Amino acid sequence: MRSPILSEPVLRLIDLHRTFDGVVALDGVSFEVPEGRIVGFVGRNGSGKTTTMRITLGVLQADAGTVLWRDRPVDEVSRRRFGYMPEERGLYPKMRVHEQLVYLARLRGTPKDVARSRATELLEELEVIGDPGARMETLSLGNQQRVQLAAALVHRPDVLVLDEPFSGLDPVGVDVLAGVLGREARERGVPVVFSSHQLELVERLCDEVVLIDHGRVVARGTIEELRAMRARNLWRVAVPSVHDAWWDVVPGVTLAGRDDGAVVLELDGAADPQRLLDLARAEGDVVDFGPVRPTLSELFREVIAE
Amino acid sequence: MRPEQAPTDRGAWRLVARRDFWVRLRERSFLVSTLINIAVISILVLARASHVATAGPSFDLGYVGSPAVAQGTVELAERANVELTLHGFPDIDSADAALRNGSVDAVLNGNELRGFEGVNGTLADLVQASARNLAVTKLLDAHGVSQQERDAANNPEPLTVDVLHQTSAHRSENGVIAFVAVLLLYGQLFGYGIWVASGVIEEKASRVVEMLLSAIRARQLLLGKIVGIGVLGLAQLLVISGFALTLALATKAIPIDLFQTALGTIGLVIGWFILGFAFYATLFAAAGSLVTRMEELQNVIVPINLTILVSFFISIGALQDPNGRLQVIASLLPTSSALAMPVRIVVGAAPGWQIALSLLILIGSTVLLVPFAARLYSGAVLRTRGRVKIREAWRSAA
Repeated sequence: MRSPILSEPVLRLIDLHRTFDGVVALDGVSFEVPEGRIVGFVGRNGSGKTTTMRITLGVLQADAGTVLWRDRPVDEVSRRRFGYMPEERGLYPKMRVHEQLVYLARLRGTPKDVARSRATELLEELEVIGDPGARMETLSLGNQQRVQLAAALVHRPDVLVLDEPFSGLDPVGVDVLAGVLGREARERGVPVVFSSHQLELVERLCDEVVLIDHGRVVARGTIEELRAMRARNLWRVAVPSVHDAWWDVVPGVTLAGRDDGAVVLELDGAADPQRLLDLARAEGDVVDFGPVRPTLSELFREVIAE
Repeated sequence: MRPEQAPTDRGAWRLVARRDFWVRLRERSFLVSTLINIAVISILVLARASHVATAGPSFDLGYVGSPAVAQGTVELAERANVELTLHGFPDIDSADAALRNGSVDAVLNGNELRGFEGVNGTLADLVQASARNLAVTKLLDAHGVSQQERDAANNPEPLTVDVLHQTSAHRSENGVIAFVAVLLLYGQLFGYGIWVASGVIEEKASRVVEMLLSAIRARQLLLGKIVGIGVLGLAQLLVISGFALTLALATKAIPIDLFQTALGTIGLVIGWFILGFAFYATLFAAAGSLVTRMEELQNVIVPINLTILVSFFISIGALQDPNGRLQVIASLLPTSSALAMPVRIVVGAAPGWQIALSLLILIGSTVLLVPFAARLYSGAVLRTRGRVKIREAWRSAA
């Protein structure tokens, strides 16, 4: 999935702080998004994702910290080239779909004729079903969601910041959106940040992940880096004929859990998995043996639990 | 990156204004309000026209016996702009019958002027004057006074008329024009101000405002909304004024020589609408941004509504008493001058320095109000849960 091109970080969030009525929402959030990369922004509800994105888009002011776009603080000029999908969805309910997209593109400075053809293109690309001349409110929720995405893309943005873009989409919609994000990143080199609670999706789509908790970035990097950094060295061993704790004799090995007739063992740095396998084979028939690769959900829970 | 793309949002308010203008124009309530305005204006103008048509008093005078005094009365009535018709009767009985059935207003029989229930004072005065003239003529005849001397006595040097306090020659017509003007202004300022507030709430309620503010600054959005809706209000005002003027001239509700005054008044109304609307609409927009649902709109705009309503009543009062202390103060304060000052100008009561001062205060306070309201607006407009307190909005925009 990852782009082979070595890419420069183009969007940089540096030490963002924000307090709401005495409650700290952001407590020094920093991360960066390289050109053409997709970054997943993951955290619990209320951890500060939406606040971070709003500050990036300038709809909210930070108490301290800066957002840099290509080494310069984001201002009115560069911000017009951003594409945004707010968590709180919403377009004019009584405005016609195509007209609305053209309007939003023109607000960001796109010339009228370019905006028109781009809106038509996008409605097709995103497979929005229905008449482009229909009022927004007459569309199904799934279709409205796609129009909302089109609104983020219609001015051909240089950056995409999407707050929960996948929520409310059916599996086909998820695939369409994933395809669009992939193309924007790979073909146009657009850096993409999106937040999501669907961690399998983040794992599948993202080059990098940023984990946020209580207004602080608690982990960031590629999934592999996160695994290497955070994961315990776990091995799954299934020896159906044995029930006692045969692994006790190996130094540095402890039981981490049981899973469907197998045991999950944690090895510390000194313990050798091959030695463990030898021992298991000596006890009986080994039907399953291998390292446990934690999913992003597991990494997430592990990090958050700390 | 894309050279044809405008680099800043500086002109974005024009797009916002254009959208708001067209959206509101296509709304049913715009059509309804235009029709109601035209209906109200038509009623006012037509009522005035029928009043003007029946302006001078007219009487039917019956007489028995010598017609001399009655004929002299006709001459005098003509000079006094009173229409008088004579009816001769052979005897007092037939004259009384005519009095009873109402075909004459009074009957002159020798020295007696008889009415049914009473005699109109103007008519009695005219008849009395005619009788006196006749008596004087007889006396002059008896003394052999020449015609030349009589003419000199009857037609003295005309009086020159002077006044201590000069008011317009058409005060009553001007009052009517001013009343229509203030009614129109009140309707426009109030109605279109509410449209600004509800437009702000609509964007908040549908959450589209976050998309808008990620593209352009709050000030551009605010400005666009006020201009778009204001231009629509202005266009409606022009249509209604044009209609009212045409109708008034066609039905002779106002004399043709007042055309200039009427045109000037329309100019005044438009000028003060622009200034007053800029002031009130800014307040309405800030108020609207504090709430999320249409039902809450009434709560936040009550203070503004009351201000406009009180200003309206003071302005109506200015029709009668344009130089009362309350009216003068109201015509200077920015919260009421857009309604009170035009009335005082039309009835010719406002001195130039007061007009200039009033304009200065209104424009100045709008200029001061705009950044204040824009800050409240940008601080409150993203808070889509419940009502926002003014202090919170102020601080969260910091």
